[in-house]
Amino acid sequence: MTCTVKEKERVGVINPMFTCQPAGAQYAAIGVKDCIPLVHGGQGCSMFVRLLFAQHFKENFDIASSSLHEDAAVFGAIKRAEESIHTLIQRYPHVRVIPIITTCSTEVIGDDIDGLLLKLNRQLKERYPEREIFLVPIHSPSFVGSHMSGYNVAIKAFVSTLAKKGDPNGKLNLITGWSNPGDIKELKHYLREMEVDATVLFDNEGFDAPIMPDKKSFTQGNTTVEDIQGMANAVATISTAKYEGYSSGEFLRERFSVPHHPCNPPIGIQATDDFLNTVSEITGKPIPESLVRERGQAIDALADLAHMFLADKRVAIYGSADQVFALAKFCQEVEMHPVLLLMGDESSLYATDPRVKELQDNATTYDMEIITGSDLFELERRVRDKEVELDLILGHSKGRWVAIDNQIPMVRVGFPTFDRAGLYRYPIQGYAGAIWLGEAIANAIFTDMEYKKNKEWLLNVW
Amino acid sequence: MNEQIEELVTYIQERCLWQFHSRSWDREENIEAILTKTGEILVELPSVVETDAEKCWFADARILAATFKQQYPWIKSLNAEAIKVLFDGVKARMREITVEKSRNEELHQPNY
Amino acid sequence: MPMTLFQCDTVIPEREKHCYIKAPGEDTTQYLPSANIATIPGTLSERGCSFCGAKLVIGGVIKDAIQLIHGPIGCAYDTWHTKRYPSDNDNFQLKYVMSTNIKEKNVVFGAEKQLRQSIKESFDACPHIKRMIIYTTCTTALIGDDPKAVAEEYMEAHPDVDIFVVQCPGFAGVSQSKGHHVLNIAWFHEKVGQVEPKITSKYTINYIGDYNIQNDALIFNNYFTRMGIQIIAHFTANATYDECRSMHRAQLSVVNCARSAGYIANELKKKYGIPRLDMDSWGPSYTADGLRKVGSFFGLEKEAEKVIEEEEAKWRAKIEWYKEQLQGTKMCIWTGGPRLWHWTHAVEDELGITVVAMSSKFGHQEDFEKVIARGQTGSIYIDDGNELEFFEVIDMMKPDIIFTGPRVGDLVKKVHIPYINGHAYHNGPYQGYEGFVNLARDIYNATHSPLWKLAAKDIRKGVKKEAQGEATV
Repeated sequence: MTCTVKEKERVGVINPMFTCQPAGAQYAAIGVKDCIPLVHGGQGCSMFVRLLFAQHFKENFDIASSSLHEDAAVFGAIKRAEESIHTLIQRYPHVRVIPIITTCSTEVIGDDIDGLLLKLNRQLKERYPEREIFLVPIHSPSFVGSHMSGYNVAIKAFVSTLAKKGDPNGKLNLITGWSNPGDIKELKHYLREMEVDATVLFDNEGFDAPIMPDKKSFTQGNTTVEDIQGMANAVATISTAKYEGYSSGEFLRERFSVPHHPCNPPIGIQATDDFLNTVSEITGKPIPESLVRERGQAIDALADLAHMFLADKRVAIYGSADQVFALAKFCQEVEMHPVLLLMGDESSLYATDPRVKELQDNATTYDMEIITGSDLFELERRVRDKEVELDLILGHSKGRWVAIDNQIPMVRVGFPTFDRAGLYRYPIQGYAGAIWLGEAIANAIFTDMEYKKNKEWLLNVW
Repeated sequence: MNEQIEELVTYIQERCLWQFHSRSWDREENIEAILTKTGEILVELPSVVETDAEKCWFADARILAATFKQQYPWIKSLNAEAIKVLFDGVKARMREITVEKSRNEELHQPNY
Repeated sequence: MPMTLFQCDTVIPEREKHCYIKAPGEDTTQYLPSANIATIPGTLSERGCSFCGAKLVIGGVIKDAIQLIHGPIGCAYDTWHTKRYPSDNDNFQLKYVMSTNIKEKNVVFGAEKQLRQSIKESFDACPHIKRMIIYTTCTTALIGDDPKAVAEEYMEAHPDVDIFVVQCPGFAGVSQSKGHHVLNIAWFHEKVGQVEPKITSKYTINYIGDYNIQNDALIFNNYFTRMGIQIIAHFTANATYDECRSMHRAQLSVVNCARSAGYIANELKKKYGIPRLDMDSWGPSYTADGLRKVGSFFGLEKEAEKVIEEEEAKWRAKIEWYKEQLQGTKMCIWTGGPRLWHWTHAVEDELGITVVAMSSKFGHQEDFEKVIARGQTGSIYIDDGNELEFFEVIDMMKPDIIFTGPRVGDLVKKVHIPYINGHAYHNGPYQGYEGFVNLARDIYNATHSPLWKLAAKDIRKGVKKEAQGEATV
């Protein structure tokens, strides 16, 4: 059947499904251990992003601001960035990494942060001889791209600034794209099962930080400077998100001859199979029985649901392109119909992405529509005007009102998911992720049946 | 007398928001009007309450007078003359704290 | 030294003038923290930007206006889904935000065309809405767009439409406070006096500086209605755009948040002679004071007493019960500014709590005059407090509960201190009598949670088993 790809026609945005580049850059930076990012811009550019992360994770993340004030518009604010770095170093003895993240204002003003870092790199050694501080310039003007591209730009900045040629370390680089701690935990579990030593960008398992009896546990990323430095010496890189990390894999290949194996986000059975096979091919390590069993458990769980409850359900999915494509593929695996895909940023690459064709080929009985550069009003208007009838929405919390007001069951997935408890803890990637997705979707549909008294008796026996 | 002034000033400082309006002239006006009216109420003298502004000051003064009578019973024993002296003292002290010696650097800005 | 340099601030000694510990016998003529001055960069300050003071705090509350943010997408995204102010028109203001979504080409070639088109699209998308607020942001201010001209052009072509333009980019001031100021003054000069309200009572007020956090506004609305008073305009709780244009017709301005909206009350006084009556809306005793004063202003003393009596009868016993439970609880208030002075005495007098430390993000010296006059000796008063200072305060004062935002709240839970959302509340409303019971209940539940006792136990050190049948915590 058909699959039309088009861009939103309006020039403005009504209810954004994405935010700006500095937010993505900050998300990358908090994944690094002993790192306090400095956002060079107005205070809101970091304060609101800290709030966004707090909403999603119910955790605090340390992010500093150069606190741009009015005089900066006239005189520039490079001095404030410099002061910030000294203040951070002196007040936070554990800090080793300070990325400097630009914003719209400081890019328009034209502050030369690269020049500043060159100067500081000399100065810091003299001033703090006992400290080794790594400064990472990240150019992320808010008027370019989206938080996804900001994340992408930041990964590349970390890798290109820190990776350093040395002896081969036998490790695998895994660049996952924007992921939750639940996903990272799952992927690390696979690597452990396969006895593969890997550097994960970014290992954010620590975002699920405990309250400890000694009161000394705080939330931060686990990826160290040394991990990133060593990426130049890995056996290969796997990047699992074309628009959120692929370019860093390419960088490592071109600069350090690290072979790069891009694959799709391991969401759903097939994609996880592909991922594990790629790991196995690169490392020569076999896929162990344990993972075959986990895979079987996932297929078993989904088989319980697919034909009876999920089949033919019409789904709208919105969010970042890599995740939307992957979730659509998963839906097709469990016999659902992803009829409407909405991607927030306006990359011209999406229309020609091979995954469009693949999805269309699988959609043998229904038409699909893909909107790029989309906002949440594109979804709302179609629902309201009955251009599309939906049984389910898959997306992050910013679209909650479309589901609530139109009484469409919704499973929160992606970022942010602040209106549901603890979702960051659970994977959507891997076989366990497929189970979580399938069961969360089924339970959402069940609850909806009960509230609407729509065959609520069906589950009287199951 | 000084002790009595301080008692009332302490109460006003803790309780009343009118002493902290935005600019020096707002504060001076409020202090003068509200405390004059409070004194008048305490000795049952007629107060001029015609304009909206006067009604507003009178509203604050009534609450204050009622509280003073309740919390500082000694105040009831003062005659009109003594009340005037007392409240002149309170006004002077209030002006000193919230205007003359205030360290609030915005107090004298010409615009709000 | 009453002005205090925290250990963590040794390298930024200019912080000393922002931190004060009140000693016996001192008043604000001797010591008053500096406030509303430039943030020291890199301190992990809690301050937001001026734009958010205008949009998120005040303008965004208005329930029937399109909020159009002229800037990159983040400014709209960030000030949407970040507040809890419902409305009685199905929460239009919570559900929608518009952005011109400025891109690089607009930065180079200007963004007015983008704005013009976005205005049209926004009204097309919401045909029932005829009001709009446009906000400039850092980028559109720097490239020198003239949004006012664009808005006027649209209004000329669409006489049923009214648009308000707020020009307050994020960098305009040192904190949110600048945004409050810019919006207040611009609204007063450009919009107040344009609409004549329907007068339904002899007694009319504006209720200024309340933003309907968790339906706070319903509480005082109810009290005033019972007294027979008409509220011409809430500024801006659950308010319509046109109600706020008719503020000039009220007889009295009742001001709750003097920090964010004292400006408009002052201007109303100056131009229209509407007197300004400040009150505290949290806590029974303050509430009663406020109602009595307003009653007195209108000659509605009996009506006020009746409301107070009914509310006392309904809630006093509950408040007393919580007061018994909460005796001696040590509390910090780390919020925007005014809630420091609104709350400190209310919780101390009526709940037996001691407020040991207060920090304000965007308060001015006026706020510190108020809070230091009201607060305890021995307590800490901080302007623009930062993370490391907060930890030092916790070590010094050992608070049992902290009223602050979610982010700092998520931080302090790691050191086993519960927080309550001091901005958006946990389970509000918190104003008035009923609200104060909610506030007390939230403090009680947070401080008495069994989880904090469990958190302190280290299972490696042989946690003693509870005898069977006894409570487990």
